[in-house]
Amino acid sequence: MQRRILQLLFAVLIGRSLLPAQVDLAGNWTARLHQDWAERGPGPEIVDYLGLPINEAARAKALSYSASELALPEKQCLLYPPTYLHYGPFGIKMWTESDAATDKVIAWKMSGPSDLAVMTIWMDGRPHPSENAPHPFEGFTTGVWNGNTLTTTTTHFKGGYLRRNGVPVSDQAVLTRHFMRHGNTLTIEAFIQDAVYLTEPLRVTRSWELDPAAEMASQPYHCSPEAEVPRLDGEGTVPHILPGQNENAGEVTRMYNLPLETVMGGAETMYPEYRKRLKDKYKAPVKCLRYCCGWEGGAPTASIQCVGVGYSTPDAPFGRAF
Amino acid sequence: MRIPLALFLLSLALAPAQQPAPPGAGLEVIALRPDFHVIAGAGANISVQSGTDGLILVDSGMADRSEAVLAAVRGISQRPIRFVINTTADAEHVNGNAKIAGAGESLTPASRSLLATGASIIAHENVLTRMSAPTGKQPPFPLELWPTETFFRKQKNMYLNHEGIQIQWQPAAHTDGDTIVYFRRSDVIAVGDLIDTRHFPMIDTARGGSIGGEIGALNRLVEMAIPSTPLLGQEVGTYVVPGHGRVMDQPDVVEYRDMVTIVRDVIADLMKKGQTLEQIQQSDPAKSYATRYGAASGNGTARNFIESIYVSLSKARQ
Repeated sequence: MQRRILQLLFAVLIGRSLLPAQVDLAGNWTARLHQDWAERGPGPEIVDYLGLPINEAARAKALSYSASELALPEKQCLLYPPTYLHYGPFGIKMWTESDAATDKVIAWKMSGPSDLAVMTIWMDGRPHPSENAPHPFEGFTTGVWNGNTLTTTTTHFKGGYLRRNGVPVSDQAVLTRHFMRHGNTLTIEAFIQDAVYLTEPLRVTRSWELDPAAEMASQPYHCSPEAEVPRLDGEGTVPHILPGQNENAGEVTRMYNLPLETVMGGAETMYPEYRKRLKDKYKAPVKCLRYCCGWEGGAPTASIQCVGVGYSTPDAPFGRAF
Repeated sequence: MRIPLALFLLSLALAPAQQPAPPGAGLEVIALRPDFHVIAGAGANISVQSGTDGLILVDSGMADRSEAVLAAVRGISQRPIRFVINTTADAEHVNGNAKIAGAGESLTPASRSLLATGASIIAHENVLTRMSAPTGKQPPFPLELWPTETFFRKQKNMYLNHEGIQIQWQPAAHTDGDTIVYFRRSDVIAVGDLIDTRHFPMIDTARGGSIGGEIGALNRLVEMAIPSTPLLGQEVGTYVVPGHGRVMDQPDVVEYRDMVTIVRDVIADLMKKGQTLEQIQQSDPAKSYATRYGAASGNGTARNFIESIYVSLSKARQ
């Protein structure tokens, strides 16, 4: 009893509740793009699967991807799966929804990127839906606090692109996230498990910075599909590339001298040890043609000759990224 | 009415120690709209539209689940079952016809129909043809499972429970008798075995199915179903109930259509190069999708899907 009174007195003195700590994640958070900026900003190379633990099915599907499919009206307004938050460049906005009577947090809401659906993270212990339930773009997410870390589990989302160049993630995947706030930095660690397309869980960690003045995309996202040019290849055509005919498959090898087997990805390319395998095979290109010195330029390093700044390389045969 | 306390206590004392199994045990009832439900787990998915006119069911499931299906239906509404619509002649869609329709009550007066003892069973004429047999031969299904009302035009319309219902024939898709059932106010389309979200579609070329008809039907569905545009975040839109697997929306149908079309294109390209069926099987043209849609055995395997496309394209060339 004495101990309890002392705890209460201490809490009153320092002005804190005795309830379990729940870190406030509310606010506008802008993405820190120093991690993988080339992929998250201008976008990945057309065929670059390096660092992804994909299986043969995923590789075949990615190699068949044609960006022309985005011209189909039925494809123009598709949203990305929630895994894409970690591969896109956008900020996020977080807020809570509380029970009006008890003020208890029922759910965290997360929005921000215009091409991701608003996600509800249910905190009230409700179960995930059955395997027969619909799969909305945002999926179904539950959350639980472990100390100061919010751990969420997302299922029931639609399949889509894991990487913006056609590498797939399936509708059977499970996304586990850990939200960790350190001062004004929010770090989200994601584990993507997908028995359909991945041989191992994919782990990716990104950080965002609190920025109350940041402008966030308005929700709900407006999109009105329209075919603006007549289709030349007939109704019912689905653009794709036939096996063995992807002309971009060797582009990363030509530009960066990386072996094709490396570019094709796989679990072993995720790990630092993989570099040892390349030690005798890899020779740095004489000229770096794209993404050499940072998105907006920067100081060239001793080992790489920059021929232009950032993605703009006037003498590069591949032109601008966008 | 107020129950006397003594009677209430007596009823508690006499109550069984264990609760009886809930109605429809082993089945799942998913509410898509206030008056529209899907019953999963009875073989094929069963769609249930309800209202003051009674209940309209799409497909009837397996016979050994009929009691559970009826219990689940009673949990939705006590109104009589008026119609059972069969989307195809496959066993898991029609085997429950006798018990399910038998528990209902037709809107057709008994004086005008020899078979009007229960709910009417509607299907395309080819479904009846596939379920029955010429006189003197053994039919694949017993008489009591056969459709009682058939149609042979491309569409049959009804207006029940304050909404238009369109039963649309999809020629030469999964078989030659497939229909999709469009509930216009509920904005739900039950599509039978045109789609199995768990597996590759089963294209039964021996019963009149074809890859061209399958893709044609999927493209029509893509046009009929409306996604959540222009307000994407609202996550509303037309629901599509497949014959097997989870409830879909239009983007899900697009994904499925893409899969079927791309595998067809890859096989057509290999056939153009003169490859035999065995060579095509070895080149694994469905590789991109086999881990998602390939069944380990049975109709939905990649091997069966590839063969059905090959046979179908070969027929189309002739």
